[in-house]
Amino acid sequence: MTREMTFAQAAETHLDDVYGYLAWFTGDRGAADDLTGETFERALRLWHRFDPRRGSARTWLCQLARTVALDHFRSEKRRVRREELAAAPERIDERFAEGLSADLESALRVLSAGEREVVALRVVLDLDASTTARILGISPTNCTTRLNRALKKLEGALHVAA
Amino acid sequence: MSQRDLAAELRAARITVPFEVRERVRAIAATDSTAREPRFTWRRALVVALPVAAALAATIVFTRPTQHAGTALELQATKAATVPTAVPDTGAKSFSGTGHVRAGVAGVPTTAIPVPPSRTRLQRYGASLALSVSTPDGISAGVQRALRIVASLGGHPTSVHASSRGRSAHAELVLRIPRRNVQRAVTRLSQLGTITGEQVDVQDVQGDLDATSRTVTRLQGTLRDLRAQVQTPDVVRRITAISTRIASLQRGEASTIRTASFATVRLSLATPTVKVAPHHSRPGPFHWLGRALFWLGIGAVYALALGIPLALLAFGILLIVRIVRRRREDALLNRT
Repeated sequence: MTREMTFAQAAETHLDDVYGYLAWFTGDRGAADDLTGETFERALRLWHRFDPRRGSARTWLCQLARTVALDHFRSEKRRVRREELAAAPERIDERFAEGLSADLESALRVLSAGEREVVALRVVLDLDASTTARILGISPTNCTTRLNRALKKLEGALHVAA
Repeated sequence: MSQRDLAAELRAARITVPFEVRERVRAIAATDSTAREPRFTWRRALVVALPVAAALAATIVFTRPTQHAGTALELQATKAATVPTAVPDTGAKSFSGTGHVRAGVAGVPTTAIPVPPSRTRLQRYGASLALSVSTPDGISAGVQRALRIVASLGGHPTSVHASSRGRSAHAELVLRIPRRNVQRAVTRLSQLGTITGEQVDVQDVQGDLDATSRTVTRLQGTLRDLRAQVQTPDVVRRITAISTRIASLQRGEASTIRTASFATVRLSLATPTVKVAPHHSRPGPFHWLGRALFWLGIGAVYALALGIPLALLAFGILLIVRIVRRRREDALLNRT
């Protein structure tokens, strides 16, 4: 990514990745819609801080998206506690992505947000371990461990479904 | 399904960005009118320049030479004198003080401080006089003249010490002079040279003397009463004790009067102190750099001594905050 890249170019190029990441992370397309807009609003405000020498625009935008999503999770948690709802918000009818089998869709529901996140970054967005680790704020080894654990869990859920 | 197949299926899945979201993001991007902030800004330059300027100013302040350095020859005259201008006849028993006058040779007063002894009260009178005499021969002559002055006023020397070394000489005299003549003696002695220091101490002993006299009078009355009584062994013993006490007090009284009737004058004669300023070589081209590095080194030592524990503390706090934040984040994501 060149230094001269404008924000508009970066937004156009990486919108799909950011949106996909947020959709996988939250497991909620509606929330992903809102969070994507929020992420790019924040990115526009902070664009002057972006330094292409320290990482790609995609990594930087994913980091911002993660912060926005975490804020969303926290507010959701407070809301749920306030409303005294024991169960997690209903997302049964939501679809993660087009082209997934029904078994895989239901198996994905077993994963936690943290596990879905690492699957989204490593597998769906095809980021390498070090970039993913940087976005998550963990070590690459820890990142790989998390991915393996998530995939095993997904595999196990698929077996049960089968 | 293997993990590889699983990954392949996940990768094949597509998530289409809704049209509204895309339009919204484009609208946000369209508002981008800000140019990329250049790496060099005045604000950043100021953040660097201010501490550098402060360090430079501190270095200059701490390393500049003092005003007095470089004087080739300095003659100093110091005048230490008792401040009171008159001796009170009553009141404080003892008073003395010092005033410090620093002046050139020409500015030194040539007359002694007029502190005359009291005519009505008994006082212990002491004076110190420091005189500067230009040559060693002048010191020798001054000692002779001082002894003559003291003898002519009915006094005597109790100690005389004189020494000379090269072009400098020094003499110390302790003189006992009748109190009634001490003012004249000081005036005449002060003319032996230039006054460089003077001190007068006056201690009133009249109060003590009066108290002793009253005690003696009271004891003598008691003695008279006892002598009028029948002379039993006990009375005789008391008469003896009181008589002894009266004799002792009278001896002390006489001694005080005798001592106070003479004043002690300490006379110091000396050739002027020639202070040769140390030779200052012209600073070399790296002199100020060396000085600056010296102070920078001191600053660095202090910074290390204080900075390392603070840095360790800050690092520890940062670590704890990060761990706590990570754990909370994990808990949040595992629950979601």
